[in-house]
Amino acid sequence: MSGLSERPGLWLFGPAALWGAVAIAGLVRTAKDVDAWGEVDRRAGGVATSRACVVCHPAQHASWSATYHRTMTQLAEGTAVLAPFAGESIEHIGFRATMTRGPNGAPHVTVAPVDGGDPIVDADVVMTVGSHRYQQYVASLDRGGGADEKWRLPVAWHIATGRWIPMNAAFLEPEGAHGDAGDFLRHLSRWNDNCILCHNTEPVPGRKDMSGRVEFKSVVGELGVACEACHGPAGGHVARMGDVARRLLAGGGDPAVASPRRLAAREESGLCGRCHGNRIAKDVAAVLTGGDGFLPGTDLAGHSRPIWADSKIGGSDELPFAQRFWPDGTARLSAYEYQGLLQSPCYADGQGLGCNHCHDMHGGSPNMQVRAGRASSGACGECHAMAADHGGHGQAVDCLGCHMPRITYGLLEGMISHRISNPDPGAWIGRHDQPDACTQCHVDRSRTWAAEAMVRLGFNNLGGVGREAAVEEGWGSRVALDLFGGDPVQRVLAAHALTRPGVTMDATVRLAWLVDALEDEYPAVRWAVWRAALAVAREAGSALVAGLEGFDPHADVPTRLRAIDALRAVAGPGPFAGAPERREALIDRQGEVALWIGE
Amino acid sequence: MSPERHLRWSLALAALFLAMGLWLEAMIGLRAAGWVDDPLRREFLRLGHAHGGVLALLNVGVAWALGQLETPTAWAGKIRRATLLGALLVGGGFVAGGLTHGPTDPGPPVLVVPAGALMVLGGVVATALVRPGDRVPGGSR
Repeated sequence: MSGLSERPGLWLFGPAALWGAVAIAGLVRTAKDVDAWGEVDRRAGGVATSRACVVCHPAQHASWSATYHRTMTQLAEGTAVLAPFAGESIEHIGFRATMTRGPNGAPHVTVAPVDGGDPIVDADVVMTVGSHRYQQYVASLDRGGGADEKWRLPVAWHIATGRWIPMNAAFLEPEGAHGDAGDFLRHLSRWNDNCILCHNTEPVPGRKDMSGRVEFKSVVGELGVACEACHGPAGGHVARMGDVARRLLAGGGDPAVASPRRLAAREESGLCGRCHGNRIAKDVAAVLTGGDGFLPGTDLAGHSRPIWADSKIGGSDELPFAQRFWPDGTARLSAYEYQGLLQSPCYADGQGLGCNHCHDMHGGSPNMQVRAGRASSGACGECHAMAADHGGHGQAVDCLGCHMPRITYGLLEGMISHRISNPDPGAWIGRHDQPDACTQCHVDRSRTWAAEAMVRLGFNNLGGVGREAAVEEGWGSRVALDLFGGDPVQRVLAAHALTRPGVTMDATVRLAWLVDALEDEYPAVRWAVWRAALAVAREAGSALVAGLEGFDPHADVPTRLRAIDALRAVAGPGPFAGAPERREALIDRQGEVALWIGE
Repeated sequence: MSPERHLRWSLALAALFLAMGLWLEAMIGLRAAGWVDDPLRREFLRLGHAHGGVLALLNVGVAWALGQLETPTAWAGKIRRATLLGALLVGGGFVAGGLTHGPTDPGPPVLVVPAGALMVLGGVVATALVRPGDRVPGGSR
């Protein structure tokens, strides 16, 4: 011990002092290093992928892993494939789709005419799209666009019902012609320049115009909607954070990635609006070549404009998107939630409420991803301190019931509107082209009743009361009129309204109305009415449950009508049983309000 | 540092970090915001509590061992300072790092943890290796 014994202080404190000096030097060096803190070219570092993010952000990675964003696009392997592919089949307009597995276990779809003939689709599934409402399937098919071309197949798996549906039934369009392959394949759409853009992270369609034909070399940063869809490409951030001292000093965040919670409502909502707000790119050709160019955290308006009812494209005077909005300009389809927010007074031109106020991408249930405490009236209480009797409904109806009514259609469901507004049924007296918040719950009441009730509740500043009602107003409730005489969106929403908890009508009556409305020219409407009828039948404990479970909304017309007649015989009279001419008049109106709403 | 002072300070340090355990338990019971909802902070406060408590008890052991092994006074005094300060830095560094943490990592105070660990390690090794006959230049036993 002679050497050691001569300098006890050096041996005992020297290593610690040396470490301290190194640590302090490292911190000082990093603190002064401009490259460690300043702005960077966020695209230069490329995509890191969620595998890199999990190293430092395990909790956020875990919460994201539980979401439907993660599973938005997946390779068609293992548990990613939700449908059985065990030989199921569906028939629609003269074609039969059969779902099987190939020798290697790969999911396979064959579509062929029912009465014989060559298949019009015969392909292995390579990717899945969606995992919440329904799952779509993508196959590699070279239809003139090269070997990398991929196409969304014309059938999908509806998850809640465990049924296959033709994709034609997922959109609001009239039924195709029997035996017309073109009609059956209406929604056989190319993945490379459609689905890829909003269902993946940092997508690049890679379109190339080759003398007379188009080819694709599509790539994505990561399949599905992963970390960098919201935070931006993180390669530069990962490289920067390789420095331990930089991480220890990271309290102020890193401008190399977007942190939505630090953004103002405009930028924070813009990164959601990229996909939840259909838009028109400033340079469509550039998007199809190299992606949309949008960096989360920057102004979405720099790259595109939201689609509105009066939006035009290509110098045309036509209004191709008008059908997607109600007459007052409110979007009536999903994937327009961003537009609803922009129209809401709470948004305050980007300085007020943003998506993150109500939604939390890293918490709560994956279903709707609502922030804790912000479901129903909890979303409004921070700013709006209302008297307990505001609205006159007590605890039975929350803020959203009146101010964000369920007047949006999407993914075969009725959904809440994201335009926060005040209900004003009186403004629509005499009109039949837009539902109102009141009669979506008071399904047995007319709009005139709703307008008068608003006045009784003390909302005297609303207009319309005293306006002359349409003759049909006296025929039945607003929902009954919409169910038979509304346009396809109104018909779906009327059916949806009849299923909602707390509606003011007996379930057996609602079931009779729905069964009476089961036949419809639009496959998507038939599907919605059938699902509503089945839900109400179960609620009522009806003997019709078995019959409805066996009902196929996409069967051929004679088969459907036979089944509906049998169901009607048990369900009882519909809303216009005593006045069939009124029912006919309303159904005749359906032809005046035809819709073609595709992707 | 005298043996008595070393023992008293070691026990005081043990009491401090044991009391911290009560605080952490109370925060769980009260579902304190910034604790139950902050896994990184929770992890580092627990590390501070556990390391601080165990190293304080280690100091009690070192104090006893220095007497049993008749370690020369010049060495023993410095070993006592090193192990006691090291225990404080390790426990306190974890706690301070957890209280000042960033998005993914503890705060800069956590850098004192390795320094403290080196002191404790040096003190324990020296306790084991230094013999009664070892002297420092110009010093006495």
